[in-house]
Amino acid sequence: MDNSIFQVYEDEIQSLEEEIKLLTEKYEDSQQESTFFSDEEILMSIKSFQREFQGESKGHQSPSGLIAQLESLEADLSFLMKFTGIRFTSHFKKTVEKTRNRTVRKHRLSGNCYSLSFQLEFQLLEMQNKENVSAAITDLSITVESGEDPGMSKFVSSTEEHGNLLTFFRSLSSYAEWYEHRRYTFLHFK
Amino acid sequence: GVFAHLEMLEVQAREAALKQEEMKQQEEKLAWLKARVQELKLQRDELQAKVDLQQKAQLGKEGVVSDLAQPSARAVLEWKIKSVKAMLEVFYLTGISGKLTKEGVCFCISTAYEGTYLDSYYLHLLIKPEVQICRHSVPVFIPLEQIAKKYLQTDIRRFLSVLSNHLNAYAGRRYQADQLQEHFSDQIEGTLQRNSLCNLLVFNYNMSSKSKTFPFNVRLLYGDLCCSLPTKVTISCTPDAPASLAETAAAHSDLFSRVALHKAFRSFAGAEES
Repeated sequence: MDNSIFQVYEDEIQSLEEEIKLLTEKYEDSQQESTFFSDEEILMSIKSFQREFQGESKGHQSPSGLIAQLESLEADLSFLMKFTGIRFTSHFKKTVEKTRNRTVRKHRLSGNCYSLSFQLEFQLLEMQNKENVSAAITDLSITVESGEDPGMSKFVSSTEEHGNLLTFFRSLSSYAEWYEHRRYTFLHFK
Repeated sequence: GVFAHLEMLEVQAREAALKQEEMKQQEEKLAWLKARVQELKLQRDELQAKVDLQQKAQLGKEGVVSDLAQPSARAVLEWKIKSVKAMLEVFYLTGISGKLTKEGVCFCISTAYEGTYLDSYYLHLLIKPEVQICRHSVPVFIPLEQIAKKYLQTDIRRFLSVLSNHLNAYAGRRYQADQLQEHFSDQIEGTLQRNSLCNLLVFNYNMSSKSKTFPFNVRLLYGDLCCSLPTKVTISCTPDAPASLAETAAAHSDLFSRVALHKAFRSFAGAEES
């Protein structure tokens, strides 16, 4: 018996294991993306978890571990929103394509930066190459509530054309700060 | 004689036994591998069916009771954790993200050229006794100390904003040079010379006129470190080049100061094809 017959089966096993990993991720992504729990439901779950934990302390990840992890993540998010002035009010994402090396997700975001509100839609393509993951934005669509400013709409369409999401946020941040400052100044002089 | 013959028989018997043992092991291994393949195929098919069911449910084609009919508290929390993590990942796309640490904050500045995200850089800030940079991954040729001296104590947001401008401009210049080398190497003569900050590029490229090619030498100086377009473009051609090429050189000089390098070269390719 030569080794090549073992190799055939071993290759098939590896390929099946990769398929299973991919399908599991697809399933979990889809579950995550099609579910929604309100803040009340989250709070209730935390309370029920804490009650469970008071009774016993056996088992895998301790409930307090999960709660601590959630609190730490929410603290980071809250800090970032406060620091950058960018507040996201909703975020929907949907995985539209997933293969071994390539994931494409559609994102829908809404939020505000100081008093300027915005809505965005874009596709994020992530590709796994040898050492790292590369990310690129396509199909960017932006709506900013900024009323009369013609400069802003020109900026927005140019940003959309080049998929310049990062520049959009960096500029939005400084523009919104300036806009806010101007608004206060007007109100002051009224 | 007899003993030698007996010895030989003994050896043969031992070898036969070993071979039989080996064959048995290989058969067992083969049987195991076959069973494993069957097991995995079953698992794969079950998962595939689950995923297909999900797809149908999402398209509203079948009234399917979802798995999470009565979600456990753990499942709800795990959902929320993933959801917050996803939100934090979105912050990465905005250019400034980070996480709180015991002694301060670890900021992450991401860079991008148009829609393509490039390298990101980390800054570990301590907030006591005063704001200071404890660790960072900013390259040495970025004037970090200068920027910190000017803004870090008074306005951290401004500090990060200015640093982000420097890093994004650097990343943009590097990206253009990389794109040029990757996609237009056939037009570049020799090597493209650049410094680490990528604010000085020197290279030669070929322009043809009446089926003769002439090298253009280009020197691009990016005087504004927060900009990814050059402030000074110098193009020279060889003395034997025809006068029409001098006009082309002037046109290119203008183009390079207004348009990204790889896009400018892309427009040459287009023009030559027409």
